[in-house]
Amino acid sequence: MRQRLIGFVAAVALLTPANPLFAHHSTTMYNMSNPTTVTGTVKRFEWTNPHAYIYLEVMDEQGKTVEWTIEMMSLNHLKGYGWSHTTVKPGDVISCTGGAARSGDPAMLSSIVKLADGRVIKS
Amino acid sequence: MYVVALAAALVFQAAGQTPAAPPAAGRGGQPRTAPPARILSFTAQPSSIQPGQSVVLSWAAENPSGLTIAPDVGRVTARGSRQVSPSATTTYTLSVGGPNNTTVTSSVTVNVDGATPVAAKTSGEKKEARMPDGKPDLSGVYNFAGVRGAVAPPLKPGAEKFKIVRGPNDIRGTTTLGTDCKPLGIPQSFSTPYPFQIVQTPKLVVMIFEYPNAVRIIPTDGRPHPADPDPTWMGDSVAHWDGDTLVVDVVGFNDKTEVSGYMHTEDLHVVERYRKLENGSLQYDVTVEDPNVFTAPWVMPTRTFALRPELDKVDEFVCENAQDYEKLFGKK
Repeated sequence: MRQRLIGFVAAVALLTPANPLFAHHSTTMYNMSNPTTVTGTVKRFEWTNPHAYIYLEVMDEQGKTVEWTIEMMSLNHLKGYGWSHTTVKPGDVISCTGGAARSGDPAMLSSIVKLADGRVIKS
Repeated sequence: MYVVALAAALVFQAAGQTPAAPPAAGRGGQPRTAPPARILSFTAQPSSIQPGQSVVLSWAAENPSGLTIAPDVGRVTARGSRQVSPSATTTYTLSVGGPNNTTVTSSVTVNVDGATPVAAKTSGEKKEARMPDGKPDLSGVYNFAGVRGAVAPPLKPGAEKFKIVRGPNDIRGTTTLGTDCKPLGIPQSFSTPYPFQIVQTPKLVVMIFEYPNAVRIIPTDGRPHPADPDPTWMGDSVAHWDGDTLVVDVVGFNDKTEVSGYMHTEDLHVVERYRKLENGSLQYDVTVEDPNVFTAPWVMPTRTFALRPELDKVDEFVCENAQDYEKLFGKK
């Protein structure tokens, strides 16, 4: 399977938070050392423990829409960053930056989200 | 399938280790900076009252490292509201810490008709809480605290099988044996990165662990353990007070949980000591013994569970969407 590098820019690194990333499971299935950014339209937002999820419709280079599974921190952490259950809504165009799945699946553990109005918030 | 491939394959956190911070510098040695803290809103509704009436302060902030409202309110969460009843015209200030020791503030003034304005003052720490019977009140929401520097006693001959071996690509976290959100047992429940809550009555201490909504009910009336306790994930706990220290004795575990890198048998015996500190946090000492695994009791290093005064309760926890990351496990 042909692999492809998307959205990897040095600026991403500047946005990666320096605080420890905690999860109740290992993050080894995500490549956290080289952040990636995906931009798309929110299809669904699950505001729940153990981790909140955004399902993001991302258009690939062939113009095909791919649904990315964006895992975020627990509600405890997200609330600390200022999130609520209405921070993102279906239809919002947002960018998520984090470690993409090593498996090649369209999945990510996100550290930073750029919201529809341009605000940048830890995730 | 649309595939993301990244050049490097470094793992910043190997399973079986304490979660670590990402590298401090980005590519090219550029320092990484966190998004700035900001205040989205801070309001008082209504802004004018008669003496004896109340107003609701509401606020929303993002990317904070800490928030306080002065006077009177103290530490708060990033979003919230609080009812206050100032006796005189008062200016409330929301202070939000950000990266690199930055602070942003916003103020609102509540006018109280016919009363003399008062100067803002920083609210102090709460006084030590006590129960009506004089025992310390441990109630509150606390942060987890991982075990650091714990060295297990030597294993008994033939007990090597109890040591959990985790490889560099192990998908399990440091505190879970799987991805199915089963209870973690004691003391392992205190190591997973979710808060827990203590609710205390004169005869019971109840612990509610946000992960995975596990509950311990601990009688403190001096009763002994049942003669033949059922094996359970969280064990059977009884407690007594040793001065101001709550001593909890736990037996009756099943053999399905981990203790800092080791499995155990149903003969696991845990003794915990909880002491409320002046700052509201909880000092925790624990000794673990299993005569089928270790040659001696395992006295773990003292740790402290920080009080989260801004939290009233732990959150709901339902592992329904665990499937979303489970599908990534085991793949390279």
